[in-house]
Amino acid sequence: MNILHNVSRRIFLRRSAALTAVVGSAAPLALNLAALGSAAAQSAGGYRAVVCLFLYGGNDAFNMVLPTDAASWNAYRTTRTQAPDPIALLPAGTLPNTAAAAGSPARLGGILPIAPLNLQGRSFALHPQLGAVQKLFDTDKRLAILPNVGPLIMPTTKVQYASSTFPKPLRLFSHNDQQNTWQALGPEGTTRGWGGRIGDLLAASNSTSLFTAITAGGNAVFLDGDVVRQYGVSTNGAVPLGVDSTGKLYGSADVGAALQRLVTTTRTTHPFDADLSAVAGRAIDAEQVLRTALRTPSNPLFGTAPATGAYSAANDPKLRYVNPLTGLEAANSLALQFQVVARLIDAGMRGATGVTRQVFFVSLGGFDTHDLQNRNQAVLMAQLAQGLKYFDTTLAGLGALNQVTTFTASDFGRTFTSNGDGTDHGWGGHHFVMGGAVKGGDLYGAFPVLGLKNASNGNFDSSPDQLGNGSLLPNTSVDQLGATLAGWFGLSASDALSIFPNLANFPADQRNLGFFA
Amino acid sequence: MIENNILRISNPVSWLTRIAFAALLTACGGGGTDGSSSIQTADERRAAAAASADRPTRYTASRFLTQASFGPTDYDTEVVMKLGYGAWIDRQFTLPATSHRAQWEAADAAIRAANPASNGAGQDQVWESFWSQAANGPDQLRLRVAYALSQIFVISAVDGNIGNQPRAMADWLDLLGVKGLTTYRELLESVALHPLMGLYLSWLKNQKADQTTGRIPDQNFARESMQLFSIGVVKLNPDGTRDLGMGGAVETYGPNDVAGLSRVYTGYSWACGARNASCFLNGNTGGVSDPDRYIKPMVPYPQYHSTEAKSFLGASIPASTAADPTGDLKIALDTLAAHPNTPPFISQQLIQRLVTSNPSPAYVREVAAVFIGSGGDLKAVVKAILIHPEARLQSNSGGKLREPVLRLSAYLRAFPHKSDSGGFKVGNTDAVATSLGQTPLRSPSVFNFYRPGYVPPGTATAAAGLVAPEMQLVNETSVSGWINYMRDNLTGGVGQFNGTVNGVAYNRRDLQRDWSAEIALASTPTDLVNSVTDRLLYGLASDDLRALISGAVAKIAIPVLNRAGTNQPAIDAAKRARVNSAVLLTLASPEFLSQK
Repeated sequence: MNILHNVSRRIFLRRSAALTAVVGSAAPLALNLAALGSAAAQSAGGYRAVVCLFLYGGNDAFNMVLPTDAASWNAYRTTRTQAPDPIALLPAGTLPNTAAAAGSPARLGGILPIAPLNLQGRSFALHPQLGAVQKLFDTDKRLAILPNVGPLIMPTTKVQYASSTFPKPLRLFSHNDQQNTWQALGPEGTTRGWGGRIGDLLAASNSTSLFTAITAGGNAVFLDGDVVRQYGVSTNGAVPLGVDSTGKLYGSADVGAALQRLVTTTRTTHPFDADLSAVAGRAIDAEQVLRTALRTPSNPLFGTAPATGAYSAANDPKLRYVNPLTGLEAANSLALQFQVVARLIDAGMRGATGVTRQVFFVSLGGFDTHDLQNRNQAVLMAQLAQGLKYFDTTLAGLGALNQVTTFTASDFGRTFTSNGDGTDHGWGGHHFVMGGAVKGGDLYGAFPVLGLKNASNGNFDSSPDQLGNGSLLPNTSVDQLGATLAGWFGLSASDALSIFPNLANFPADQRNLGFFA
Repeated sequence: MIENNILRISNPVSWLTRIAFAALLTACGGGGTDGSSSIQTADERRAAAAASADRPTRYTASRFLTQASFGPTDYDTEVVMKLGYGAWIDRQFTLPATSHRAQWEAADAAIRAANPASNGAGQDQVWESFWSQAANGPDQLRLRVAYALSQIFVISAVDGNIGNQPRAMADWLDLLGVKGLTTYRELLESVALHPLMGLYLSWLKNQKADQTTGRIPDQNFARESMQLFSIGVVKLNPDGTRDLGMGGAVETYGPNDVAGLSRVYTGYSWACGARNASCFLNGNTGGVSDPDRYIKPMVPYPQYHSTEAKSFLGASIPASTAADPTGDLKIALDTLAAHPNTPPFISQQLIQRLVTSNPSPAYVREVAAVFIGSGGDLKAVVKAILIHPEARLQSNSGGKLREPVLRLSAYLRAFPHKSDSGGFKVGNTDAVATSLGQTPLRSPSVFNFYRPGYVPPGTATAAAGLVAPEMQLVNETSVSGWINYMRDNLTGGVGQFNGTVNGVAYNRRDLQRDWSAEIALASTPTDLVNSVTDRLLYGLASDDLRALISGAVAKIAIPVLNRAGTNQPAIDAAKRARVNSAVLLTLASPEFLSQK
């Protein structure tokens, strides 16, 4: 059994020696873990999880959170009303025109006003499909907005940006590199993510590192630290490797055992083979624990038990959203991911997986809206809203609202300008942070000035925050966002400085964005 | 790094063969494919590899076919052994392409004939054509190269604009198959002008800037045609390594190059009856569309093409009064094709798709030199990749992970299946937990299923300084998913379920195999396992691996036939379980999952 990783293995061995008397040395590992987990949960002062929701492709945040003061609104409407397919959304209160084209601003109806506690002298609204987010922000106060976040080496002005020697993140505007920079603070090729690094430093509070960092949204460098490796779970939970519930393969326990031995050992010195066998080993170990640790998805805490037949997550009404283009319900891939994350959080809180600190990763793709933005982003916003609402409701049912914080991330924001029916690659963008521990209903960070393009030189001279094509120069860095989350997770200021290489370049009183109570 | 790590290659079926093989090598003066013994220097190893290049053994021929085809078959292995590598490649180049679009159209017609109310063929029929050719097509090298190119010049049916055009997707596969063996420049232009690329990277109906309102051209294709299809983001040396100038890696382009190139990529849209606004924007005029508009190359509409000055990558097109979309596009594509980054950038990725994730700088340099010397002749490039000594020798840092699609294709070629429907209905294989987690032409984005520079964090691969692109698809769910999928494929057949086909009740999956040859060996586990591992591992199965598998297989007891003969079904079932176990354990082994 190779379930434990370096540092935490020693801790496990120490603890299991103490526990042997309680549960007996012959008890199955999963049981040992369960006992350990609850012990750890009590000693470490409760369970906490951070969930990264990555919007792959670069979300157009200009159409997600909108300033509606007169000057901003004029700049927005003027810049984004372009033939052939204007992407400027309509004012709050505009009724949907059911005769208009599917997904068009007229068909979607007006934007949804929100009332942040600190208005910064302006007024704000959300995309028409974000009704659930409006409620989480205004009424429930469990969701906050972080305006204009992006990777930065240090605070940067437009003049500094124009200087070729001023330090800037590498390969701005490039999808893969900026995804990597959001997740691991460097372009493609940087292999330690800050979610995994946070996990490294918290490994001591987990009796096993196997379930410290879990992705339901595809492999993501965000979750890999020095020691912590991500575990890839399916939306249905852990998948048994080859064998049935009694360990048999093709009816034979011997063949089942041989399979497991074969995939977890190597007979060559090739590093690929070693790595494959390590993943297979983790798959087997994890499944053994999760098989009993996870409650079923049809449990009313997470889903809907079918009246007849087998449970199908895709048909579970809790995991479906209304597609604004068709008016029809469809399975929400984001809600499916949130469901298994909620089941894992539930198991973690009950001490069944031996962890008290977990970092999760979920994702939604399709945000690269160079064209057909009206249609495509409307669908994505509907999925985002339904997914966040499902997760919030489910966590409330688990009594886990204060234990879990979810934040959005994305490759980059997009251009303010329109290319006729969409937008191109930008830099800064607005983001959401959600949870019971979040001081919701407010903005954390200055909302950028939206200006008009200077017709004579093509620049956005009227805004200190806008670069070429109106892209945003970020005002808040990913390092600051990460450090704030790390602080809530229990890491010290010096730990944060060790994880976030650019944090020291920001004034000490701005390293925590202050969105936690 | 690679030079010093030559592995012992041969693990022939029996000691007798092994001894005979060694004796043969000695008789021939040593060398051959076994680089472990007398060969000392890299040059000597190269010379030996070159000398042996055209007398492949069964194992080395199979290994070659793992790189050059969708997997070795008995027949192709024989042909490679007979012809040698170079002549086999040359012969492959002469074989005609078989049209995926024609196959799709035939399937569409059949579906509509059977049910006039149906919507006809869809994406499934694209996969049917893909898999039937991958499994059985004679022009394997063309098909394999086309599949490699589909992961460099990416479009994806995950985007509904693409997925809703299955006929055009089949045409896209045809394009890669035909143009993939012309020149890089010709391929680049064909790819650029295919309407599916126009749609996927949103440059179809891209318009010039509107100075008064402030609209700008779409930059999508401008950026990705540089980043992914030609030059990449950083300056390269001729051997594919990064050119680390004074202060580290040098970026090849900036926002101004993207903006300049985006002006070139304006004013192209649908093939249509006229060149008016309705044709440009909607692909029809007077309510009439060209039914082939999704497969005919995009055409220029000068009135929508930018006349502004266009600067990119050192090229400069002055502002003009008359729009010249064709001339501007030629300058842009010529610039991309002639950029010094392009030969190593494209060569390295083709090597990674066919042979090894970690080619040495010398390997990339030598292939890139062929690219340059031949004017970007992709036939010459492919041949240079496959006959290069580094491709022909094994090392313990060489090779690549088999991606899921190539695992299944290797299985279907090693153990040929028949299709009940004749359609080769493998279907969509997206599901990670229950299928391959990969379907051709369905990558998540234009960045493919994995990145050429992907380093799996915290692994032995990372510690060795290696990359492993395909590892980006490997996680706890996908490793289990592959094994479970093949477990069920072995018992039930592969692909979609058929109730009846043409009035015949099948009630089983579409692809079925007659396993009687393997069943005949089942009573002797070592023979069975040798036969299976030979087909899938071309001599890479160590004694340990074979002992592990045959030990497990032997534990499945085969009952003794009773006097009345009533227990024959139990005997048959036990033999079949032995066969399934031997095959599945081999398919699950790291030895199979990484192609060395």
